[in-house]
Amino acid sequence: MPETRTRWYPYVTILPALLLIGLFTLYPVAVAIQDSFYQYVLTKPRSHPFIGLRNFREVIGSYYFLNSLSITGMFTVASVAGVFLFGLTVASLLNTKIKLAAVLKVIILLPWAIPSVVAGLLWKWILNGDFGILNGILFSLKLIPGYIPFLSDPVLARVSLVLAQVWKEGSLAAIFFLAGLQLIPSELYEAARMDGCRTWRMFRAITFPLLRPIALVVLVYETMTSILTFDLIYVLTGGGPADSTSLISWFAYAEIFKSLNLGHGIALSIIIALLTLALILAYLRILRTEDSR
Amino acid sequence: MKIRQGLFWKVFLVVFLVLGTAVVSTAAADVNMSFVVWSYGLETVQDNIQKFQAMNPGVTIALKDYSWLDYHDTIVGRFAAGNFPDLMYGSDHWLQEWASAGWLVPLDKYFPQVKQYSPELAPYALQGMSYNGEIYGMSYYADTLDFIYNAKQLQAAGFTAGPRTLDELFKMASALKSKGVVQYPIILAWSQKEGAFPEAFLSLVFAQQKGGNAMFDSSMEPVFNRPNSAAAQVLEWVRKAYSAGLIDPVSLSTAEIDQIKSMQAGAHTFTIAPQYNMAELNRPKSGDFAGQFKIALMPGVSHATVGYVRFYAMTSAVPKKGKDYLDAAWKFFEYFAGKTNGQYTVVKRWAVENGLGFAQLPLFNDPDVRSAFGKWGDITTIAEQAKLARAKEGLTPWYGTWDIFMRAEVQKVILGQESAAAALSAMASKWNELKAQQ
Amino acid sequence: MSPRHAVRSLLLNLAAIVLIIFVVGPFLWVAIASLQAENDLLHRPPSVIQHPTLDNYNYVFTGKIPSSYEVKGQLRSRITQEARMIAPALGNSFIVALSVLVINVLLGTPAAYTFSRLRFRARGAAYNFILGSRLMPAMAVAIPYYVIVQALGLLDTRISLVLVDCALTLPFTIWFLTLYINNVPRDMEEAGMVDGCTIPQALVRIVAPMMLPGLVATAAFAFMTSYNEFLFARFLTQSLRSQTGPVVIASIAGNPDASYSLISVCMTLGLIPPLILAIALRKRLTEGLSTSVTFR
Repeated sequence: MPETRTRWYPYVTILPALLLIGLFTLYPVAVAIQDSFYQYVLTKPRSHPFIGLRNFREVIGSYYFLNSLSITGMFTVASVAGVFLFGLTVASLLNTKIKLAAVLKVIILLPWAIPSVVAGLLWKWILNGDFGILNGILFSLKLIPGYIPFLSDPVLARVSLVLAQVWKEGSLAAIFFLAGLQLIPSELYEAARMDGCRTWRMFRAITFPLLRPIALVVLVYETMTSILTFDLIYVLTGGGPADSTSLISWFAYAEIFKSLNLGHGIALSIIIALLTLALILAYLRILRTEDSR
Repeated sequence: MKIRQGLFWKVFLVVFLVLGTAVVSTAAADVNMSFVVWSYGLETVQDNIQKFQAMNPGVTIALKDYSWLDYHDTIVGRFAAGNFPDLMYGSDHWLQEWASAGWLVPLDKYFPQVKQYSPELAPYALQGMSYNGEIYGMSYYADTLDFIYNAKQLQAAGFTAGPRTLDELFKMASALKSKGVVQYPIILAWSQKEGAFPEAFLSLVFAQQKGGNAMFDSSMEPVFNRPNSAAAQVLEWVRKAYSAGLIDPVSLSTAEIDQIKSMQAGAHTFTIAPQYNMAELNRPKSGDFAGQFKIALMPGVSHATVGYVRFYAMTSAVPKKGKDYLDAAWKFFEYFAGKTNGQYTVVKRWAVENGLGFAQLPLFNDPDVRSAFGKWGDITTIAEQAKLARAKEGLTPWYGTWDIFMRAEVQKVILGQESAAAALSAMASKWNELKAQQ
Repeated sequence: MSPRHAVRSLLLNLAAIVLIIFVVGPFLWVAIASLQAENDLLHRPPSVIQHPTLDNYNYVFTGKIPSSYEVKGQLRSRITQEARMIAPALGNSFIVALSVLVINVLLGTPAAYTFSRLRFRARGAAYNFILGSRLMPAMAVAIPYYVIVQALGLLDTRISLVLVDCALTLPFTIWFLTLYINNVPRDMEEAGMVDGCTIPQALVRIVAPMMLPGLVATAAFAFMTSYNEFLFARFLTQSLRSQTGPVVIASIAGNPDASYSLISVCMTLGLIPPLILAIALRKRLTEGLSTSVTFR
């Protein structure tokens, strides 16, 4: 371990980053937390009483809270699972020797390269029930009798949301998994194959255990992303139809920008942040227990 | 009170920066005002600004636009953060919210002469621009939600005129569907995000009711949840039409732009949309059915409809900047929404070039307007529908909150997740809850 | 090749094709659509072979209005000047993203090295603070961000975006690089320090060359994240002085005067810079990420 020549060296090196991050964290979060304890409704600018936890209580007791949390839960499970499977499949394919793997390796990075807002707009257009290209193709191939309103049916809208999310986030997962797969020595597979192991058994016995650390990183990152999903909903469905795709972050937005109730919106955001933190701590706890084996 | 202090410092900072820049600019005796609009006809807006600036040297207008779909939220964000524009577009359904928040200021307080224009305005327009008895804007565009149909397709199904009642509409739509003319005869722009969703729904409700107070009574108590109310009838009808496959399911995620493009492509026969879209629908070569679109009075009992008004408004930033700015603002209002040389120059331009409706009644008799409208619409029907138009009911500071709840409820009824009675009851409870909190 | 191998190979190739179509399909569609006239796009199904045209691209770059559209001034046009803003907006995006990349590398690397190698008081607290700063949903802090930027006098400037984007990317950069440096063997530095190297010298001359793949990976991540950032870009910018690509594209997509073809053109153009970066860096990317995530 190299000696610390000067006492202040560590602090100097982390100070610029800390300052920058702190500037955009300390003040905003402090203001946010403070605001959450006051009534802060923009259409009533002269009334700002301290109301303690009332914003939180009102938000939790609101008509949308439980429903939207369950939708967010469903969405998170579905999209994390989808991203997981997609990433694993792509990574496995990229690990094989087929020629198409090279093509896949280049294009897998593309969805990562566009803003989620633009991705949402793109998918909205593709899935359009009147002139979307997906309907066009399916219809021309006579696979469907008529155009399907993907974004107007509550179930299909949720599926579309997951689809767009998997498309956008899958690349990152694939890259992570590919990195992990390439570290597994091929001798392990050779030995197993010579022993007569079938592919599926090899996967379960060799691949999966060795990928576990990466799998957990992907889980943490994707769960966070899913819970905080906003850009995609805003553009793709606007929360509809009939609130079927109104994830919890959508309501945080609506409280602030539609109801002009900053107190509610910030309280809800804090609740979301705490929930996310709890989930991440849970994941990390699992990770640590795995480590100690 | 810490929060007040925080707010005070923010406001102080804003005012300080604003005054600072004002000091610099008044030293040069130049007035520079920001003007925020939604993205429509930007080239025309730019041209109008050029003309205005030429007539008023020393005044410059800096234009900024946002997409109509994001306009409300973006402006709320700006105001909340203290980034006030000077002049801006406003709409009747946001006025209550923004006036009670103190963001917009009454015009008649600073420019009493604005009242001279009131007698020439359509009543629904004047009502939409007023809050607490004061006038907050001058209108450049007012329009009605009209019932539009594709006459050629309708003829193919054997009908020569548009439907007069909801029953007739159901029959015609069924015929169109069974004869294979279109798969879904009706399209509506009823996306949860779409700005005109409540207006289109209300237009059917108004048409179904004789007289006013279709939704609320004079003390703003809900009446729409009474048994067999106009709203209940409309909801039941829409639910029936949707189940019968007459309304395109896509309607629940369609916004105005796609709705019109869809009509243009001939995918549907009937729709409800703001009247100005007729100009686009009937523009030569705009689509396969250009020139074939017509307006019918809103199907129902009274044929009333919703009229809405969009206007120029002034924010509280302007009076703070001093007399020069106020004077420039009045010149702006007068040029853009008032009379120049006895003519409503800008309003007329929008009407003639873009087919936009207007609040200023004398324009209905203007020969240029009549001839322009004649190219794409039937001015008699348009004028008649305008006479039957009423302002939206329920415009209050909490309307925005109720609106997001109400849309989800209406969509639930259409999707069959909830009965019309249950939805109306929930909407009434929500309304009462919000009203009690004021 | 044995029959079982042939079948396996066929299945794998099929899977690859399906995935390739899924991933690349939307991009292909946008590129194709950008070459069509809108009326063709609105047909059921959209007709894409009939009349391809470069008119929309021409308009964006030269301002020449496509002949198939009506003369301006007469009723609603299908063209909007906003589309011409895409080139300068992309330029802003590029400049901001590049600056964020540089700052991330310059600030993140020494910080990561310190967290990785050195022990000092408040190390744990500082590290956790940095990682935890990303938990709050963006809209709760959007208005305070605005107030900060305005107080600094940086509204509607590219600098404000650079600052905000760095605050958003530095936490991940530092976390990632710390893990990465944990895996770089220490013997070289220790040898260097025995010879009299100071820590900064060791960092620059010895460690940095060894962690090049990791640096490249974080550089790419910082660039992409900044390039794609939308919420704050829209909130903090007002004019073309600082507006970035995503803001303009989103705005055009919601503009009633923009035909779908025009929107496609803007989307396609917006894809090009990050595409080039992604293709150029693809090898480095997997190298960089692989080492850090497998070890603690």
